[in-house]
Amino acid sequence: MTMQPLYQALKARFPIGELTEQRPDLAFITVPREQLRGLLLHLRDQEGFTHLVLLTAVDWIEEDRFQLTYLLHDRKGARDIGLRVMLPRQAVIEGAPMESIHDLWPTAATYQRELREMFGIDFPDSPGVNEDFILEGWREIPPYRRDFDTLKYSNATFAPRPGRESQDPAQYMKAQLYPDGA
Amino acid sequence: MAYQADRSQYPSRRPDGSLDIDLSSGKYLKLWQGPQHPGITGNMSVELTVCGDEVVEGKTHVGYLHRGFEKLMERRTFIQCFPIVCRICVPEPDFNEYCYAAAVEELAGLEVPERAHWIRTLILEMGRINSYLMYLGGQAGALGQGVIGQWTTYVRDLMLDRFEELSGARIYHMFIMPGGVRDGLPDGFEQRMEETLREIESTLADVKDVMFNNAVFKKRTVGLGYIDPAIVDQYGVTGPTARAAGVAKDVRRDQPYLVYPELDFEPVVGQDSDVFTRADVRRRDLLMSVDLIRQILARMPRSGAVMAPLPNVLHWKIPFGETYIRGECSRGEYGYYLVTDGSGYPRRVNVRGPSYTHAMALLERLIVNCNIADVAALMVSLHTYPPEIER
Amino acid sequence: MSLSDVLSPFSAWKNLFRDPVSIADPLNDRPGAPRYRGFHQNDIEKCIGCGTCEAICQNAAIDMVPVAEMATKAGDSGLRPRIDYGRCCWCALCVDVCMTSSLSMSNEYKWVDHDPEVFRFTPGIDLKHWDSTKLGYRRPEGHRLTGNERVVMGELAPEARADSFVEIVAGYDLEQAKLEADRCVSCGLCVATCPTHMAVPEYIASIRDGDYEQGVRLLYQTNPFSNVCGRVCTHRCETSCAARHEGDPIAIRWLKRHIIDQVPHDRVKQIAAEGRVNEPSDHRVAIIGAGPAGLTAAFDLAKAGHGVTVFEAQPAPGGMMRYGIPEYRLPYDKLDEDVDVIRSMGVEIRCNTRVGEDISIDQLREQHDTVLLAIGLHQGRSTRIPGSEHQDVVSAVELLRRITLGERFDVPATIAVIGGGNVAMDIARSLARMQRQQHGQVGVTLVALEAEDLMLADREEIDEAREEGVVILPSRGPRQCLIERDAVTGLETVHCVSVFDEQGRFAPKYDESDIQVHDAGLVVEAIGQAADHAFLGESLTEALEWERNRIRIDAEGHTSESWLWAAGDAVEGPDVITAVAAGHRIAASMMSAFAQKSGRA
Repeated sequence: MTMQPLYQALKARFPIGELTEQRPDLAFITVPREQLRGLLLHLRDQEGFTHLVLLTAVDWIEEDRFQLTYLLHDRKGARDIGLRVMLPRQAVIEGAPMESIHDLWPTAATYQRELREMFGIDFPDSPGVNEDFILEGWREIPPYRRDFDTLKYSNATFAPRPGRESQDPAQYMKAQLYPDGA
Repeated sequence: MAYQADRSQYPSRRPDGSLDIDLSSGKYLKLWQGPQHPGITGNMSVELTVCGDEVVEGKTHVGYLHRGFEKLMERRTFIQCFPIVCRICVPEPDFNEYCYAAAVEELAGLEVPERAHWIRTLILEMGRINSYLMYLGGQAGALGQGVIGQWTTYVRDLMLDRFEELSGARIYHMFIMPGGVRDGLPDGFEQRMEETLREIESTLADVKDVMFNNAVFKKRTVGLGYIDPAIVDQYGVTGPTARAAGVAKDVRRDQPYLVYPELDFEPVVGQDSDVFTRADVRRRDLLMSVDLIRQILARMPRSGAVMAPLPNVLHWKIPFGETYIRGECSRGEYGYYLVTDGSGYPRRVNVRGPSYTHAMALLERLIVNCNIADVAALMVSLHTYPPEIER
Repeated sequence: MSLSDVLSPFSAWKNLFRDPVSIADPLNDRPGAPRYRGFHQNDIEKCIGCGTCEAICQNAAIDMVPVAEMATKAGDSGLRPRIDYGRCCWCALCVDVCMTSSLSMSNEYKWVDHDPEVFRFTPGIDLKHWDSTKLGYRRPEGHRLTGNERVVMGELAPEARADSFVEIVAGYDLEQAKLEADRCVSCGLCVATCPTHMAVPEYIASIRDGDYEQGVRLLYQTNPFSNVCGRVCTHRCETSCAARHEGDPIAIRWLKRHIIDQVPHDRVKQIAAEGRVNEPSDHRVAIIGAGPAGLTAAFDLAKAGHGVTVFEAQPAPGGMMRYGIPEYRLPYDKLDEDVDVIRSMGVEIRCNTRVGEDISIDQLREQHDTVLLAIGLHQGRSTRIPGSEHQDVVSAVELLRRITLGERFDVPATIAVIGGGNVAMDIARSLARMQRQQHGQVGVTLVALEAEDLMLADREEIDEAREEGVVILPSRGPRQCLIERDAVTGLETVHCVSVFDEQGRFAPKYDESDIQVHDAGLVVEAIGQAADHAFLGESLTEALEWERNRIRIDAEGHTSESWLWAAGDAVEGPDVITAVAAGHRIAASMMSAFAQKSGRA
């Protein structure tokens, strides 16, 4: 079983990117954001992908992009399709909104709320998107972004317990065996 | 008993569709159930707006269990991520280990030996039994029947002893790692497991008599919390919650993984889609897991490698890729979405727990028009574990 | 709702007649399972302080700390892991990865104390009641997180190599090197063990990353003879490699060779020249001997801008690297590449110039600011047994030099070699090749005083010599060379019962009843080397301090004369890498002397 026939059918109707076949039953396609809703509706209503498995984001900071992954599942066909939408990172950080799909799947509202909180990707039409989902009183940048340094935050916010100090075996051994230098 | 749809006079709907709840009118009261509450399945809370005894609106609040795993994993190499993933879902940790290991193996191109697949399936089924036992205790306890929890916690403890002798720890097993499993079965494991399974079956027989053939339980749960099969896919409902609505969704049958193609079983389905049916589906699924474990132990290869040879894990780099691995855990579809970028660290790990959809959108929909006393039973019947919602 | 639904729950009452399931005394009656991952144990004698447990710990719970009970020694850093139980999650990855299997976990899970600081402890050093428990988590059989088998190095089979001087070792290709480099855990114990502290983990990492230019850069920071050492080094680093305890040590020597094989020679020169000082200083240095000690010092000094002239008596530079090590172990063109890089720093090498004949040491002293004596040990010592004055009883060192110079002299059909070290193997195997070329078969008998397992030669040399047809007879001492009608006909040997006495002094004991005669038209002595210091002249010889025929030097290589340093085999030995390390020390010492003289800090 392969996703090629489905991909060809989709490509005939929508301008979409390359197909990445991860397994015979799992494939990813990068799609332009304007085509997203049309594709989702088509996949849900015509091709049997009725289950929204997850909606998450990946931060490609080096390429100045956020990738949104919409993963859909077709139970009868036992196959999954992941739609990747690339958003311009800097624009999104400055507030550029993304269209919501909560009317297609009510659960999308929860995923979108989490993305708003953790990545700072705004879905203004999504119900309750501005409510705190997990974090309360968070003052730093959205934490799932790659430029949020958890170690730095931890060292600045919490007091490390004293009594931890380590030696590098190579340096220590050299200093012990050759005390006057090599 | 047929479920009666909307029986309240309040609140009315505004033209934009939102509920017209005027808190200062004195008709409504806000009630917090949780985060520390005996009627909650873990640390989350539900903010209820009630009118008399009837809930008109509910909002789930999570956030008490956020440990930031997905962010922590960005700083840990692939082998270092393995010990922490089990903590994402506390009561049934093995699914995390399996999904993470399978995702890494797929992207790294590792071939897991046959015997490891059998041991993994065994562990997952053992974990499923434990999870269902905890659920039964919680379901009965939510309605005031505390004795069931006493019994199921005991046999769960026996199963935890089996876990301890197999994996080296009771709750966080850290046994399924990328490449296979850590070790084979210890000597005498099959006999002790059979004894444990017999105890479980005898306890389940008692549970059936005392909890399920129970007029009070039936009166309170039959007809409560009806889920319309038509909304199952819309709301991302999976697992026993979906199967009790007549939608036979079971990843073990739909997209078999590990050794499920070689095992003899049928998904357990119910029709009435109320709290009672969901509890009954889980009870029967538990007994099916007992049978599956017996099948696994009878058929699994007794010798052979349990680990694929790994590259040096201290500097293990996996080429660019992304994948999604799913499995059927006791609550529904559990999945890991893993993205790698050619470095020694995962770029993104996203954990899809079934409770993410059950406890938020689905619960908020079902809880409307519930009595306050029924909220706990309803919530527990969705079998939500908050740790996997917020990771 | 039926009647049975009302009555059925009462069946719960049967539990009134059951015993409670609670364990009365869990602290004592409920031990952890045999595989339980409990509190740590560490066998501190097995532990080598490599720190791999610290590297793998996912929550940074382990520190490597010095402990009074363990001293740093060969292959053991002396550090031991201290585990912080506030951070440990008992995943046992540290046990799984432990390179010596010293770390394990007991099945104990109870530890109560008033003081929170005690929960940061060093297992095996801070004694606990679970230290002797046999139950608990051990790494399962066959469960490995790092590779423990070395990638096999391609070598010519004996039939293919026995009659020519073609290089035996093939070198790793890209894939083999990557696999071998992958096994390294970057513990760094090799760094201190190497006499010149090469940055081994870093250059192995450069192979993994495919960044060979960075690898060459790292090599040249400490060793300008990587083509040479990548083939013939005594690889002490491999004796302290953490991987050798449960498998094969990393093939560090072959990996070093692999790096320099990958980068073109011209690019190597450019990389070696990075950081070179361009303005020449007004200091001039004379170096006697173009061996590894002399040329390494030359490299460092020339790179720092000083003027260096090397005086070499032989026609080509290299010292023992060229004139002692046979071509099948170290091809001359590879040595030439290493020397070429050094030349390209601006070092002038004057070959065929013998100090004491073509130029005097006093002239060197007048014309240069400092002089380095790095003349090596190019004379062979003699057993002085009866018959050894005959012209067909020669030293191995001299024969090896003649072979290198290209002399393809006639070899007799039978040859005896006296000696059990690497030089004896070198000459035996070289002569065996010449015999095959000239006679079609081998007739070399090697006798050594020591028993085979005590022979000083490398194991591979002994095995390969045997494969090539050399007959090796351990525990035999030379008695006399038999001469008939003015030609050497054989070597008489006697069985040697022991070599050293109880105090460890050299005092061989023989069994006179076991005497053999080995046919030999040529007897080669490979029992030791010496240097010729005649060129120093009487007054300098008087002025210098000596220690048992070697010039005495301080820790920096400085002799008692302020202008004279000495390094290499002539004063220390025993191998190329030690000479390289000495060369660096000399250069640093000379440069600090220059700085002091000109009054700069």
